[in-house]
Amino acid sequence: MKSRQYVVDSKQVNTKRAVPASYLQSTVYCLLLLLSTLYCLLYACSCSPNKERIFKKDRILMDTLVAITVVSDSKDNAEKAIDAAFSEIEYLEKLSNHYSSDSEITRINRNAGISEVKVSYDILKLLDKALHVSENTEGAFDVTMGPVIALYDFHKKIRPDDGMIKKTLSLVNYREIIINRDRSTVLLKRKGMLIDLGGIAKGYAADKAAETLKKQGVRSGLVAVAGDIKAFGLKPDGKPWKIGIRNPESGDKEDDIMATIELKDMAISTSGDYERFFISGGKRYHHLLDPKTGLSAQECRSVSIITKEGAFTDAFATGIFILGPEQGVKVLDKLGFEGMIIDSQGKSHLTQGIRKKIEFKRTVS
Amino acid sequence: MSLRELFHNTTLADRILFSLLIVLSLSGIAFIKEILSDNSTVHIYVDGHPAYILPLDKNRVVSVEGPQGKTVVEIKDHQVRIIESPCHNKLCIQTGWVRSGAVVCLPNRVVVTLGDPDKHKKTIDATTG
Repeated sequence: MKSRQYVVDSKQVNTKRAVPASYLQSTVYCLLLLLSTLYCLLYACSCSPNKERIFKKDRILMDTLVAITVVSDSKDNAEKAIDAAFSEIEYLEKLSNHYSSDSEITRINRNAGISEVKVSYDILKLLDKALHVSENTEGAFDVTMGPVIALYDFHKKIRPDDGMIKKTLSLVNYREIIINRDRSTVLLKRKGMLIDLGGIAKGYAADKAAETLKKQGVRSGLVAVAGDIKAFGLKPDGKPWKIGIRNPESGDKEDDIMATIELKDMAISTSGDYERFFISGGKRYHHLLDPKTGLSAQECRSVSIITKEGAFTDAFATGIFILGPEQGVKVLDKLGFEGMIIDSQGKSHLTQGIRKKIEFKRTVS
Repeated sequence: MSLRELFHNTTLADRILFSLLIVLSLSGIAFIKEILSDNSTVHIYVDGHPAYILPLDKNRVVSVEGPQGKTVVEIKDHQVRIIESPCHNKLCIQTGWVRSGAVVCLPNRVVVTLGDPDKHKKTIDATTG
């Protein structure tokens, strides 16, 4: 009976399954189909060609690494815009490179004390901005430092003697750059004077490259001409661009970050005593030379400046490094710029506005 | 037990669970591929043009020809360095091993970057200083 009972039960169970089998099967198939379709849709959406993505290209220009990043929904459009921005930087390099034999700056330098030289719009703009920075830093930033800079060789650890520096300093004076805006000409008053735009041209190039990207239809991007960075728009995730500020005590470690700051439609530059330097007799000789003494400025280790224009962040970072922290913060406050100065003792001096925005990775006193 | 019998012995819940597991596994593969592919490549450019894209997890030594001559790049233990360069100052060699960012030889126009420039999962977009 038990066995019979079992058979009956088993049949009952089988009957229960058999009746809705086709229904169950089709339900399962439908469910599988639905889930697969959902998965495919989700995957297709995440890889959609219309989704905005980040595109980046690097090139060596202006004797440094230039990285351009753009947000775009098309790889072709992004590359076209980036290439146009690189071409703009290349054009500016040809105008402003004083080592090149045929640049406009070389022609001005060659004709110093002789005759005025006709120049393009960009050189006039660059010199106008350079003079503005010189006037606001009491001459701590001076593009006529060329003859003094030429005396140093930081790779070969060569520093000129004091007599030579003193003699050459007489050729340094930004007030002796004569600009005629009507005729678009520039004259250096005395023979031997040299313009070196190394302290402003990279920041200006970042501005112009960003302008070019915008003209090409790019709504968001980042131009980094070495450490002179111009950021505009937002990233695809809706966040501002995050910039790391190098730790001045990191030695050769370029990726050692001291702090980060988020930027949108702003530029940032940093000048530090770790960029080109050598140590002799326990003293650090670096490339940020004081136009008053011809020697490396000693009050700061690094200066970061934030404002709208890259030309100003670049040049003021140099000028304020030379001015020193106390005067530097006053100048920044007066101009409404943001900045962070790390002095020779490692102490940080911050403008009011930057305090809320900067995020330190390590303790700074 | 044949596959057909196995299928007939499963309940509706079994089949739903099975299909869900398949979907989850496939999603997991796509997710991991997207997340982990970021910092695993070394890009070597000469004069702006890509010369090599290499995995960071395979030790090797490669050389590229720049305008001044041969630059030799070594990849080892997820790090990269330049070991030979025709440039006069050898700053690229002095940079030593790097785990992120880039090693650059300006005179020979060689740029070695870590990570895929198209994928920006990293937190910092650029560095000043």
